[in-house]
Amino acid sequence: MDYYLSVATFGALNVILALGLNLISGFCGQVSLGHAAFYGLGAYAAALCSVAGLPFPVAVVAGMLVAGIFGIVVGIAALRVREDFLAIVTMGVGFLFLGVVRKQQWLGAEMGIAKIPSPLDKWGYALLAIGAAVALVLLSLHVRRSWMGRAFGAVAQDEDAARSIGIDVAGYKIAAFFIGTAAAGLAGGIYAHMTQIIVPDAFNFIQSITILAMVVIGGIGSTLGVVAGAVLLTLMPEMFRFINDYKLLVYGTLLLAVMRFSPEGVAGLVRRLARTAQARGGRRPA
Amino acid sequence: MFYVELLLVGLVWGCTYAMMALGLTLVYGLLRILHVAQATVFTLGAYVGLLVANHTGSLALAFVAAALAAGALGPLIYRLIYQPILDKPPFVALVASIGVLIAMEDGFRLMFGPSGLSFADNTWFTTTYSLAGMVLNLVQVWIVAAAVLLLSAFAVFAARTRAGVAWRATVSDPQMAESFGVGVIGVRYLNFLIASLLAGVAGVLVGLLNNLVEPGMGGVISYKGLAIIVLGGLGNVPGTLVASLLLGVVESYGSVFLDRVMDRDAIAFLFLIIVLMVRPQGLLGKAH
Amino acid sequence: MSVTFRSKLFIASALAVALAAPAAAQNIKIGFHAPLTGFAASDGKSALQGAELAVEQINAAGGVNGRKLELVVQDDQAKPEQALPLANKYIGDGLKIVVSGSYSGPTRAAAGVFHKAQIPYISAYAIHPDITRAGNYVFRTSFMGEVQGRAAAKLIGDNLKKKKVTLLTLNNDFGQALSAGFKEVAGKFGVQIVSEYTYAMGDRQFGSIVASVKKDDPEVLYVSGYFFNGGPLVAQLRAGGVSAQIVGTEGFDTHNFISIAKEAAEGVMITTSLDRDSKLPPMRKFIEEYETKFKVPADMVAASTHTAISVAAEALGKAGANDGAKIRAAIAGIKDFQVATGRISFNELGEIYKAAQIQVIKGGKFRYFATIDDPVLLAPPTK
Repeated sequence: MDYYLSVATFGALNVILALGLNLISGFCGQVSLGHAAFYGLGAYAAALCSVAGLPFPVAVVAGMLVAGIFGIVVGIAALRVREDFLAIVTMGVGFLFLGVVRKQQWLGAEMGIAKIPSPLDKWGYALLAIGAAVALVLLSLHVRRSWMGRAFGAVAQDEDAARSIGIDVAGYKIAAFFIGTAAAGLAGGIYAHMTQIIVPDAFNFIQSITILAMVVIGGIGSTLGVVAGAVLLTLMPEMFRFINDYKLLVYGTLLLAVMRFSPEGVAGLVRRLARTAQARGGRRPA
Repeated sequence: MFYVELLLVGLVWGCTYAMMALGLTLVYGLLRILHVAQATVFTLGAYVGLLVANHTGSLALAFVAAALAAGALGPLIYRLIYQPILDKPPFVALVASIGVLIAMEDGFRLMFGPSGLSFADNTWFTTTYSLAGMVLNLVQVWIVAAAVLLLSAFAVFAARTRAGVAWRATVSDPQMAESFGVGVIGVRYLNFLIASLLAGVAGVLVGLLNNLVEPGMGGVISYKGLAIIVLGGLGNVPGTLVASLLLGVVESYGSVFLDRVMDRDAIAFLFLIIVLMVRPQGLLGKAH
Repeated sequence: MSVTFRSKLFIASALAVALAAPAAAQNIKIGFHAPLTGFAASDGKSALQGAELAVEQINAAGGVNGRKLELVVQDDQAKPEQALPLANKYIGDGLKIVVSGSYSGPTRAAAGVFHKAQIPYISAYAIHPDITRAGNYVFRTSFMGEVQGRAAAKLIGDNLKKKKVTLLTLNNDFGQALSAGFKEVAGKFGVQIVSEYTYAMGDRQFGSIVASVKKDDPEVLYVSGYFFNGGPLVAQLRAGGVSAQIVGTEGFDTHNFISIAKEAAEGVMITTSLDRDSKLPPMRKFIEEYETKFKVPADMVAASTHTAISVAAEALGKAGANDGAKIRAAIAGIKDFQVATGRISFNELGEIYKAAQIQVIKGGKFRYFATIDDPVLLAPPTK
């Protein structure tokens, strides 16, 4: 039971991370290769607060805010550089975060922060993480249908055209970065208290790529697809425990195969199947 | 003297960056793909070179074999992976490319073991030349020589040969080039071939320089390569060369003087971010 | 070689699954997790081999109270988030003892879970000081980083009588802990630290460090790191004309280090747990049988995991295999137990005291140079 609870909790954290990135990259079209840095910022900020004796809710909110504020900074940078330039800048943000944290004694440097208080039990973390994930799913679905979602879509499709019809491109870009990175910060805060230890390597480039993989395998831009992608990639290492030795080989091949054969991800695949089914259904005489 | 030596160290390392980054920028210039999987080509070159060198004792054969293997893998990656998804959004190719890198890194581990392999006889490493207290080994000399030779050969090819002219025409305007009868498909293969030959040779040289060939050796140099081509102004060949050397030197000084603040990778990317904030189109790129 | 080993492993694990039902009644299961894939896979492989050899030797000698031992192996990729579900899985499957053949992050994350579930947990070679502080169900069978750093300071000041030292510190928990221990006691042995430079796990090019060391001109270099970055670093230092004595750590303690650095490795000294020239029977038996079985020389990681499994078996023999609390008490009560890494006893925190072995590389092999046996200097913390 405990095993399933911990897998479910990590699954929910991954859903939060992936939906956050999907808001930035899927909805607003700003590709980010450094999402793990914000996960890390949230984890470190929350851990520091908790170790300093602040209550758990304060620590988690602080983690969200710190990640979100740095997200705004990157959002402002995204006003200067675009597309592939932005992708590499966000990758750089990830390396920069890690390279600085590794050297800071007050952040425990490579030892990280250990002995983080753990105020909840396994059920507590699971319910909190799943609750937050569900809230974010609802928020995502709502944003998609709202005016904000349409504005995001316009920015994603053609920034200059969006600007010419009076959309505040800068404002929406920064808003997307803020919401997406604050979500990552929330996941970081929960992660830090649950594992009770954080080390810099947990937030490296591979982690950023893993989050991006959840988004694209699920289907970039599709909320439910991304949830499916996050759940799938969480369960995959668990399912593959019996083929331990080939895990990364299978993982890499899967990434490649999805991009090569179904670039719209799981969501695209489902849509295509649905369309085929409909077409077949249509041909049948009523 | 100390400062001169750091400069020299940085320039030598910049030359290895240049050999990797030129290929990345060629691929980007033509297809708008961030070709992370180039690291796989680099690592394959290193493994093939090492195995041939250890079996035959000949480094010349090792380089030829590495270039052949790398030269075959690069175009193959294009044909099997990139070509069918060229019309998709750019992140599709990027993620596919990362998938190749992750899978092949693990493939190398399964094939050749996790600990990496060393050259049985690495005389280039132990042959050293000293100049006013500064010491260079023969591998470092060859890295500079190979970078200068191969890059000049490329420059001559691009400027003087028929194929080179076709290549330049295609890069600047594929449709126009096609209407003048240039085989765009052939140019794409040529592009991957050149990029992969350079990466394969660089792989053997870096393997010799570390005396270690390991499954993950291509990762960092490939990410840095992406930083370099952005720094140079995406698709801009002279910009890429300048950025390669510059980044080598910045890392060399930075890893001594900023040691307490951040690590080497962070220094490289901090430099990149600062430059891009000032010049969003890169060092030599043209403004939008 | 490695391919056949792996396919054998694959067949073996497939067989183990097939035979699990009838075998489960007799075998005692020991959980064992290590980084079998990912960046730390090299150490993971050594760790698994050390553990497998221990189990094979114990089973060949009749097992534990007539029952055979069986490893339940899991891959943690050296990631904390992989270790938590894995720990819960071991607990859910009813295992009563688990050994970590992994790094600090996953080991520390899992330690808290095992302590809460009252399952004894032995860390073979992870060095983070807070691992054993997770609770009294957690033990460690290797040196803490700080302790090993102190041994190096004594080696340089007392044995080698050198003064000016430059630290080349690997930027990870291992390197930073070693340097911290070194700095803590350097003054006591008259050792003066003239400079310190750091490098990252992935660095293989050290030109700027070599240039800086030449400028500082120390008598001794204290280099933390692993064979895959320390090997190129030592080779580049020597090729760059640096002739100062090099003192390394147990991270260099593998034949891979020598095959990378070649002649440059000659004369390098390391502080470690494994004495190749030991006459102690369990050490000899481990070193010889490891080499026969796996066709590579033994290293520190393998020796430490071998030790951890031996400790587990010893405790299971005394306390039976059903009660975590009894097994814990049996481990805590181990005194002067002879294992592959020497003679060990646990203190109240679950740490061991043992003498530090100083090995020197001569003729392409690790050989005995000195033993630092100083119970005060090398005392692990007790709380």
